[in-house]
Amino acid sequence: MIRKIYLIGNPNVGKSVIFSRLTGVQVISSNYPGTTVELSKGHLLLGNDKIEVVDLPGTYSLEPTSSAEEAAVSLLSEFPKNEMVVINIVDSTNLERNLSLTLQLLEKGFPVITCLNMCDDASHKGVHIDTKKLEEILQAPVISTCAVTGAGIKLLIERIHEAVPVSRGKLSHEERWKEIGRIIEQVQRLEHRHHTLREMLEDASVRPLTGLVMAAGIIYASFKIVRFVGEFIINRITDPIFINLYQPVLEKMTAHWQEKGFWFHLLIGDLINGRIDFKQSLGVLTTAPYIEFGMVLPYVIAFYFILSLLEDIGYLPRLAILLDNLMHTLGLHGFAVIPILLGFGCNVPGILATRVLESKRERFIASTLISIGVPCVPLQAMIFGLLGKYGGFYVAGVYLVLFSLVLILGVIMNKTVSGYSPEFLLEIPPYRFPPIPTLAKKLYFRIKGFLIEAVPVVMLGVLFVNILIYFRLFDFVTSLSAPIIHGLFGLPKEAVVALVIGFIRKDVAVGMLMPLGLSVEQLFIAATLLAISFPCIATFVVIWKELGFVNLIKSTLIMVVISIIMGTMLHFVILK
Amino acid sequence: MKKISLAQLKPDHKGKVSDIVGGGNLRSKLMHMGVYKGTEITKLSHIGLRGPVVIKSGRSILALGHGVAAKVILETE
Repeated sequence: MIRKIYLIGNPNVGKSVIFSRLTGVQVISSNYPGTTVELSKGHLLLGNDKIEVVDLPGTYSLEPTSSAEEAAVSLLSEFPKNEMVVINIVDSTNLERNLSLTLQLLEKGFPVITCLNMCDDASHKGVHIDTKKLEEILQAPVISTCAVTGAGIKLLIERIHEAVPVSRGKLSHEERWKEIGRIIEQVQRLEHRHHTLREMLEDASVRPLTGLVMAAGIIYASFKIVRFVGEFIINRITDPIFINLYQPVLEKMTAHWQEKGFWFHLLIGDLINGRIDFKQSLGVLTTAPYIEFGMVLPYVIAFYFILSLLEDIGYLPRLAILLDNLMHTLGLHGFAVIPILLGFGCNVPGILATRVLESKRERFIASTLISIGVPCVPLQAMIFGLLGKYGGFYVAGVYLVLFSLVLILGVIMNKTVSGYSPEFLLEIPPYRFPPIPTLAKKLYFRIKGFLIEAVPVVMLGVLFVNILIYFRLFDFVTSLSAPIIHGLFGLPKEAVVALVIGFIRKDVAVGMLMPLGLSVEQLFIAATLLAISFPCIATFVVIWKELGFVNLIKSTLIMVVISIIMGTMLHFVILK
Repeated sequence: MKKISLAQLKPDHKGKVSDIVGGGNLRSKLMHMGVYKGTEITKLSHIGLRGPVVIKSGRSILALGHGVAAKVILETE
């Protein structure tokens, strides 16, 4: 009786894609090792039985050498062997290396069914594997699959019950590699292929000179595309909908409302020259949806489109190699580039992704840098929306300040935070070109995630603030904080509302600045401060969960001190 | 035949792993990634002076930090 199915395999062989195919649970998968840092669980209906399927983080062996591997291995030993099946997912293009884990699983007596995944990629590369023969040698079922297209999955499900423990002697490492050599000779046939354009690009992107040129080009193009797509959606789709469709309807519906009443204040907000102004009215039905759908969502779509594309192609690990030197000065190694890039989408998945970093010290440094110096897409979108009209100078200025801050802070933390930072050891995946439906699904999944998390918080946040403002409850905080906000930062004392709201969501916080009539210099200071100061509550909670309370406090203290120093410095440099 | 570390090997040159001077953890990590005594590897590139090293071993491309590369001793022609 099978009660549990585990998916295990080397990093980046497509475990998560198989998992999604088996359970229908959508999980993020990318073309780099370590995408899955959390256990995903789902269910597969096998006959009439609902069986739990667990997607384990990638591991090279059953003798764990990192914490992610340890988690995978300890879970495997938790469950009785006669009540589970292990689906061992193998990269067909690299059978030799993958077989080491397969043999270890068989030696340990697990009931194993082996999935030769990415079979399309293998035949493309001239790798031919005799599945039947391999099955004979292993004495365990072997199935050729291509998870991305779904080929072979049905057969895999049909044959799951055939997985039974086999008796295999335990081998030493040397013996095992020799055995693998023998197996490979019998089952694998390599066709000679000439260097393809893809391989030439793969090669060029990890060489110093060509690699840096490519990296610069890709980063520049990514920025341009994000801006272009974002602005296109705003100008052609969302703004017309809001201004031509939504605004007249809203104005008609509320025309007979009393303008200074409680509900009007709450839902519509203030009228600007007698009309609703989506950027300044600050109502639950006006500014709140406009911030999320009209200013932030277009850039979220654009950003995740590019990020997903780069992830699935397999470019990010190459960027990690090129930036390894720079990251070392910050006390991290090249792979930390990936959590940081994810942090540009939203700090929460960025900080979760720091789990791929091995030491506590690295995770603390990376998480602190992300929460202080990496603005999320919603915040960036609002900064563009606010400062963009004054020209690229101020927008670039915010990024420049944040970038310098990350460098300085990283160098200081590298010198002062105790612990160790291990070296880089990473497998570089080949470039793959993801099918459009796969990419579209991932994009849809991320945007849905964004909307579910953001919209309720934004609506409630604006509602809450409007109630506080209506009953003048903010006045106390405002006058209390005036010496800092006005005295040190040179902002009108009402700006404290925005900084407080920043704790809930950054995009709404920037929205709060819009009606204040700030000068462009003040906007610049406030926007930069919002980026640096307290992370939003979601980030706060995730740092707490991931790094513990003490580190949360440390990280927060660093943040407060830096916010005050930076705010004051910018004020005196720019305004005086 | 001479012995040099992977960090010293010139890009686009080949070598055979003769030793990995490091903790057991590093050795077993590399072992499970397919790099062990006797493996033939090709160095593809070296980023900067003290940067990471990219190698081809079997069908995999691996990136090793400079410190790791210095611990992999190769036999070369």
